[in-house]
Amino acid sequence: MKINKIILSFISAVAILLSTSVVSFAKVVGDKIVLGAAISLTGKYSSNGVHTQNGYNMAVDRINSMGGVKVGGKTYKFEIIYYDDESNPKRAAQLAERLISQDGVEFMLGPYSSGLTKAIAPVTEKYGVPMVEANGASRSLFTKGYKYLFAVLAPANLYLDVAIRTAVELNGGKGVRIAQAFEQDAFSQDVRLGILDAAKETGSEIIIDDKLPKELNDMAATLVKVKQMKPDVLVVSGHTKGALTAIRQIAEMKVDVPMLAMTHCDAAKLSKQHGKNSQYALCASQWHKTLTYKDNFFKDGMTYAADFQKEFGYDPPYQSAESSAALLVFKDAFERANSFDQKKVRDALAATNMQTFYGNIKFAPGGQNVDKPMVLFQVMCDGAGKCENKVVAPLKWASAKLIHPIPKWSDR
Amino acid sequence: MNKNVILYAAILIFGLAAPFVFPAFKVQLSILCVLIVLATTWNIQGGEMGYNTFGNILFYGLGMYLCASVQVGMFFPLAEWTESGGEKTFVHTPTQFFQGMAAGLVVAAVVPTIVAGLIGYAILGLRGHYFAICTLGLGVAAGEISGGIEIIGAGQGFTTPPFPNVGGLEARGEFFYFLSFGALVLTFIAVRAIYSTRFRLILNAIRDNEDKAEAMGIETMKYKIIGWMVSAFFCGLAGGIMGGLVGYIDSTDVAFDGREMGVFMVLMAILGGKGTLWGPVIGATVFHIFKEGFWTFFLGWQYVALGVLIVVIVIYFPEGIMGWLREKYPERFGEVVDEADRKAQVELK
Repeated sequence: MKINKIILSFISAVAILLSTSVVSFAKVVGDKIVLGAAISLTGKYSSNGVHTQNGYNMAVDRINSMGGVKVGGKTYKFEIIYYDDESNPKRAAQLAERLISQDGVEFMLGPYSSGLTKAIAPVTEKYGVPMVEANGASRSLFTKGYKYLFAVLAPANLYLDVAIRTAVELNGGKGVRIAQAFEQDAFSQDVRLGILDAAKETGSEIIIDDKLPKELNDMAATLVKVKQMKPDVLVVSGHTKGALTAIRQIAEMKVDVPMLAMTHCDAAKLSKQHGKNSQYALCASQWHKTLTYKDNFFKDGMTYAADFQKEFGYDPPYQSAESSAALLVFKDAFERANSFDQKKVRDALAATNMQTFYGNIKFAPGGQNVDKPMVLFQVMCDGAGKCENKVVAPLKWASAKLIHPIPKWSDR
Repeated sequence: MNKNVILYAAILIFGLAAPFVFPAFKVQLSILCVLIVLATTWNIQGGEMGYNTFGNILFYGLGMYLCASVQVGMFFPLAEWTESGGEKTFVHTPTQFFQGMAAGLVVAAVVPTIVAGLIGYAILGLRGHYFAICTLGLGVAAGEISGGIEIIGAGQGFTTPPFPNVGGLEARGEFFYFLSFGALVLTFIAVRAIYSTRFRLILNAIRDNEDKAEAMGIETMKYKIIGWMVSAFFCGLAGGIMGGLVGYIDSTDVAFDGREMGVFMVLMAILGGKGTLWGPVIGATVFHIFKEGFWTFFLGWQYVALGVLIVVIVIYFPEGIMGWLREKYPERFGEVVDEADRKAQVELK
């Protein structure tokens, strides 16, 4: 059987290929601190993946141009190795492994979305690689006892909690009737759990509780039910596609509902894409440019937004802002640890207590940021049809008054 | 025979030494083993029997969920484990982890086999495109259904038990590598044994002309179902291992990932040459290397590159790599070729 020869030579070719693949890079090369990140550049999270990447890049450029990171009397610059995780958890776990064991990365930045962070966290945890993540909000990430995971954002169950409480308040303290539809993914399902908690506490009733598929482009079935049952609040969460689909179909079907609460409006550029149709939508956000937090690198939210706009040509959604903040946290921790020892950096991260343009950052033992509340904004349009996101809650930062209930389509 | 021994010994040595010689590539090598298992088992169905199935992902995903559920459920309440808001942290002791894994893998292999028998009985009467489309639906449906079952995490996903703290940093990688390599060896030996019996000839007869096979007195339905059950057994096993390896199970993206794994297993078998023993092995290896390479060097273009590869394969190697080699060097495959006959054929073309 000559074929054996072919197969044998094939195997040796594979062996040679593997052994010649360069295992290169190391965490700190010369004056560079190399961070690793798996980002969704393709697949269903690609638009938010790019927001995340832009946020990272923006902060890297800014920190590097403003003197870099000073550790042990020497100045270092940040550099990031990116891979495309294709919005797939399996791929993300594999890439984390690859970044750590093949590329020698010793510090990681998070991917986009809770599901992918869930897949990566066990890997970074195993190797003791500190990971600062900015886009994994699912509560279950913070109850697993991870020691090396730090999230600069508030957990997902708090996203729309405020919206329900506001609705109850406006209803004279009586419970409201809630209709909800959530995508079948880790993040949205966690937002759902938050709503369930809020409903229980306020004595509200959930009258529609629908699940939306992952490849989300139609939710007419839910909206038909909403039309029939006339709830007080409609809650929709399904990343960017969920927000776009909801607004498109609500406008098409002329669904009247007093309050519409969503997530991911700014990432979806709702006010730009759907203009007046998106008016009055209430959106949970980790950050808004009008908030008055400050730091030395980006100054404040408005300056960050302007700089971001100049560099990438669009208004930064909070996904970008929180990603930029992740690097500020890393820089701060490196300088306080004054070392590249992973344990020391981890301890420094755990002790973080700082303000950035994005908000205050202080980690609970589980790794979530406990010092930064969520904000709610409402899409508001002027007579000329120019729409803007205005913060309406909490009252401390409110730049406009909540419009409630939403006017009927027939009166618009 | 002698040469065969050398070949298998070389592969075995390579396989056993690989995680120590290339420690950084352990995960990729483990995944490669799983891919080869999937391609090989798909080939039983699609290659030897001629029933192109997209449904094997069903067994793979089923195995994945079953293995993880058993591993958790043996020691802790499953519902509390998967409920995301749970404040409790569960930790498996090493003994629990390995016992759970072992029991999980057995269930992960056996249950899909039974499921394959039942589903096969219902749908293996369909032929050709009808069968392919029907099986395509199986994976999609399973993904949607599992995404709604709370006890296995629903849309939240299912975090599999973390590897216990034994044997240092490399232990997890080595454990899963040897587990998947073991599964690969087991699969290969089993499939090779099956292919040396009359069973393979029956499958081929079904592929070449099912009606004629039936007319010859072969109970085609019985053999079709058995063939699929064999596939399901190893698919489930591979799924169980993969679940532990990835550490996080998502209904449509990891378990019932018909869009990726489901299609890849078909591609790999076709790339290597379907209807051969070695084709799927070679196909999976080439595919995996190409894919990893594209990911490194063509970031953002990897699927375009993969698409080009598929087009090239379909146009230039329609019979797969093994088929192409066989046509080019028939002597090496032990076929006796009559020169005059060959020339005559060329002229005819």
